[in-house]
Amino acid sequence: MSEKQITVKEIITANELVSGASVYLSDAGHWLPEMQKARVFLDSEHSELERQIEKAQNSTRLISLETVRVVHRQGRIEPLRLREKIRATGPTTPRQRPQQILAGDYVSL
Amino acid sequence: MYRYDQFDARFVAERVAQFRDQVARRLSGELSEEQFRPLRLMNGLYLQLHAYMLRVAVPYGTLSATQLHKLADIARIYDRGYAHFTTRQNVQFNWPRLDDVPDILELLAGVQMHAIQTSGNCIRNITTDQFAGAAKDEIVDPRPVAEIIRQWSSLHPEFSFLPRKFKIAITGAPNDRAAIKFHDIGLMAQQNEKGEIGWVVYVGGGMGRTPMIAKPLNDFVAHKDLLAYLESVLRVYNRFGRRDNKYKARIKILVHEEGLETLREQIDSEFSLLCGGDLTLPEAELERIEAYFAPPPFKESNARFNLARLWASDGELARFVEHNCHAHARDGYTSVTISLKPIGGVPGDASAEQMDVVADLAEKFSFGELRVSHAQNLVLPHVAISEVAEVFQVLKKAGLGEANIDQITDIIACPGLDFCALANARSIPLAQDISKRFGAVARQEEIGELKIKISGCINACGHHHVGHIGILGVEKKGTEPDHHWRGGERRSGDRGDRRAGSGRERGFGRH
Repeated sequence: MSEKQITVKEIITANELVSGASVYLSDAGHWLPEMQKARVFLDSEHSELERQIEKAQNSTRLISLETVRVVHRQGRIEPLRLREKIRATGPTTPRQRPQQILAGDYVSL
Repeated sequence: MYRYDQFDARFVAERVAQFRDQVARRLSGELSEEQFRPLRLMNGLYLQLHAYMLRVAVPYGTLSATQLHKLADIARIYDRGYAHFTTRQNVQFNWPRLDDVPDILELLAGVQMHAIQTSGNCIRNITTDQFAGAAKDEIVDPRPVAEIIRQWSSLHPEFSFLPRKFKIAITGAPNDRAAIKFHDIGLMAQQNEKGEIGWVVYVGGGMGRTPMIAKPLNDFVAHKDLLAYLESVLRVYNRFGRRDNKYKARIKILVHEEGLETLREQIDSEFSLLCGGDLTLPEAELERIEAYFAPPPFKESNARFNLARLWASDGELARFVEHNCHAHARDGYTSVTISLKPIGGVPGDASAEQMDVVADLAEKFSFGELRVSHAQNLVLPHVAISEVAEVFQVLKKAGLGEANIDQITDIIACPGLDFCALANARSIPLAQDISKRFGAVARQEEIGELKIKISGCINACGHHHVGHIGILGVEKKGTEPDHHWRGGERRSGDRGDRRAGSGRERGFGRH
């Protein structure tokens, strides 16, 4: 399938307040550090995406809320922008792990 | 070195306490991010791609061994065991947690450091020649005047919310190592026909998306009038600088749009009101500040490098002396630049262990003094020539012995897309690739002096406009085609850069 035929979708990301770590809204409504567990919104789910953004904006635990355009490639979520790939996986050289969030596996609002 | 007076100590301590309270209120939800953001930025705390970043001021690039030990401690305890030295002679920590920052600031205050005015639309850290107070070609040590400007500009009530950030650089030597013509105001020492020392004032320089070389505004401002003159420039800028468009808000745009003569008339008019007033610097106060920067107790020595003999006996040391040692004003001494550009390394990064080694060397061999250069290296300003070989051995053992100052591998690079939220492309991997490719000693010697500067976006933190070769990273369809520039040269200061065309495609995951 050519690049043009891949459906572009969106995920929602933010930085966790205390650590500054990148987190992603999951299907379960938690904010997780793993981008691969992000909830993917199709174009048809735009109003739901807006609702989730509004909900997150009311949180005191999240900052710098953004949506990220992604595609599914070989079963994995892949952002269209290099910036978001690096943001999800950490600095590339020397390779460093992403920032860790506070105790617990996710940010709960 | 300057030591805080009671006022300095009190305002830094008060600021730490204020910020501790602000962080607590943010964490409790009492403050929103919208309310908190300007407060954290006033204390040098940015949010980057992966985490917060704390930028700590190193006033005019001068550090004590004690301060560098403390920075190493902070890197170990609160960060990931390293720190990054910047092109504005500051130091950055890439991974602090918000709730740790008040403790970090308290530790910094304990060694007379802070992060105030390292962000925001205010007068930023005053930068100067990394060899200030040591260089053989110096007319006057610029640090006392830099310190006076620091005191005047710190928490200045009129200039805390300028149209845009404002950067001042000062050099006491005719060879400009502080890139003064690429600052909002550049000051260069000058001796007039009466033998008095004053300052040539340049205005309106800068890089970023609209690179401009500063224009000469005044060819001689006496010490005693300097603050009044700077206040006049800042007042005119504060009044007429554009606040409607952040991309046109720097003073360089005001100079460009209004013209230097119009601006000079306004500044002269303001200066006529301020000259001879409260801002006149008493000679006694200048002398009091100068006393803090008195030369250290040098030993009498007539030791000199004999490079021919050194090349015959120890080529490695000879190369280090040739590239990393700078002529000192005092016989028998030299200034040693410690390269933070190991072959294939990250430009400007130093581990906590390396910082401790350098601080120990400063204590033992350089009267406890250190400098940060705008080329992202460290300097031991006063090393006895007879002790350079010992210093070199310690540096080599710590992975800091690279003899490459001003060579092709001494690359200036911003953090780029690996860290920076504004960047479009990575700078660090490109610098590493170039360093590895040309890192062989013979190849570097063949190429000779060559300054490569890399910025990951148009904001030009990597000074790409003024490198012999400048590289600007841009983003195109998720990849990083680099744009190369060539022909800039900060030292001559009057040659613009020229675009040389697009570079290679760089796919994600190659490194």
